[in-house]
Amino acid sequence: MTLLAAVNLNAAGQIAAAAVLGAAGAYFLLPRPKGRSVAAGLFLSVAAAAVAAAFVVNTFGNPTADAVGQVLFWLFAAGAVGFGVVLVAQRNPARGAIAFAFVILSTCGLFLLLAAPFLMAATVIVYAGAIIVTFLFVLMLSHARGPSDENDRSREPLLGSLAGFAFAGLVLFALYLSSPAAEGSAANPLPALPLTVDDRRSLAAAADALAQAAAAEDRTGLEPNAQAARRWLGEVVGYAPGEAPPPGADAPTRPTLQQRLRPAETDARTWQVIEQADKLRDRKKEVFDKLDNNLLGQRPDLDAARAELRALREDVVLFAGRGELPARNVSAVGFALYSEHLVGVEMAGALLLVATVGAVAIAQRRREAAP
Amino acid sequence: MISLWHFLAVGAALFGIGLVGFLTRRNLITMFLCAEMMVQGVILNLLAFGKYHGHVGGQVFALFIVTVAACEAALALALFLTLYRRGKSLDSGDWQAVREAGVPPVVDAEPLPPPEPEPAYPHLPPAGAKPAREEPARA
Repeated sequence: MTLLAAVNLNAAGQIAAAAVLGAAGAYFLLPRPKGRSVAAGLFLSVAAAAVAAAFVVNTFGNPTADAVGQVLFWLFAAGAVGFGVVLVAQRNPARGAIAFAFVILSTCGLFLLLAAPFLMAATVIVYAGAIIVTFLFVLMLSHARGPSDENDRSREPLLGSLAGFAFAGLVLFALYLSSPAAEGSAANPLPALPLTVDDRRSLAAAADALAQAAAAEDRTGLEPNAQAARRWLGEVVGYAPGEAPPPGADAPTRPTLQQRLRPAETDARTWQVIEQADKLRDRKKEVFDKLDNNLLGQRPDLDAARAELRALREDVVLFAGRGELPARNVSAVGFALYSEHLVGVEMAGALLLVATVGAVAIAQRRREAAP
Repeated sequence: MISLWHFLAVGAALFGIGLVGFLTRRNLITMFLCAEMMVQGVILNLLAFGKYHGHVGGQVFALFIVTVAACEAALALALFLTLYRRGKSLDSGDWQAVREAGVPPVVDAEPLPPPEPEPAYPHLPPAGAKPAREEPARA
């Protein structure tokens, strides 16, 4: 990182340096009869990885907010890329298959970081089978004792490495252009997340206050908490027409969610969030109207008030989850699969069947025709 | 909050390295594994965008890709078996006879290094025979 700062390359220069170093490293590492140098290739590859990692940290910041997540991310990322290089550069295909197994395990760790535990398990199972079958094929088909054409030669090592790393470098540059770190990031083509950190904090506080209010024994415990929840909610979703702000509410310090999102209402997701925020605002008005007029009036009905508050709290928690993956991953993925993508599931099943038939038909040993 | 671009960068690196391997290696099985590594990079992209948008659609697409990759593995290995039966080799360079018309053939200029000599394993004598061994001279 200090070296990069000393050379003072801009982003394109850093990406180009990493790509050229990586291509040179792959060129030296690829197996061929003459000119292969594992030491030089390893050195250049490590240098390329260091430059790329420094670029990523400098440009995009830390991958996660917590230290554990950062350690895990860098561990899995280094494992995936490192074992990938081993797979490409390894002469022995059996050892290459082992390196591929480690690539799969590392990417599965990244899947976990991306909140996809079901896909992690499915990938481990599917690719464990695939790797075992590949192993069988290696044992069955490659029995070359010494050096062989397929393992000890490469096709155009220089041009191939340049092509692959030029592609990776271009993708990195496109990422840089689309990231908030690029100059003129006002034209950021990626939409911002609808709920900001402040919104989430207010919603969590409102949910806490509502839970306390719903668990309160009497009116003295219930009412202040309910009013506090109302103020927190009012900060995020505002007040419905005809709804008076509760006593003690300050003048609004920031625009409500709907005011902030309406001008940028570009995609279906933002529109959904606005609609849900409006719904939550009206629901809040309805609940507190009931509380003020009937339930806490002359003849208070505390049980009904608690039930209303509990229901409102569930709505708040659901709304706070907008823009986050649901916690129950397997049920969420299954629901999406069998409700929105049913045709795709059927087609995938048909594809598997056709592939099975095709594999059997291709691999079948044909009888020699009688002369 | 997890950053989107870090995972996209790792996916791009996996895709690029797999592309290098697929373009340069000549063993069919190694080429197949490199293609699978490129698929992993793409799946990582889909999952990162799914996480960013808070939508399980990315995971659903990734599942479809895993399905297609399984079909691809079955067909690829069946094809390798057929090719191996014809050419008795896993070298994709053996099949350059099907190249486009007018393209010169690729000739491997450098000879392969000679195979390493077998290491000298110790041999046991046949049972009951006296090992050929020089008697130490007695003073």
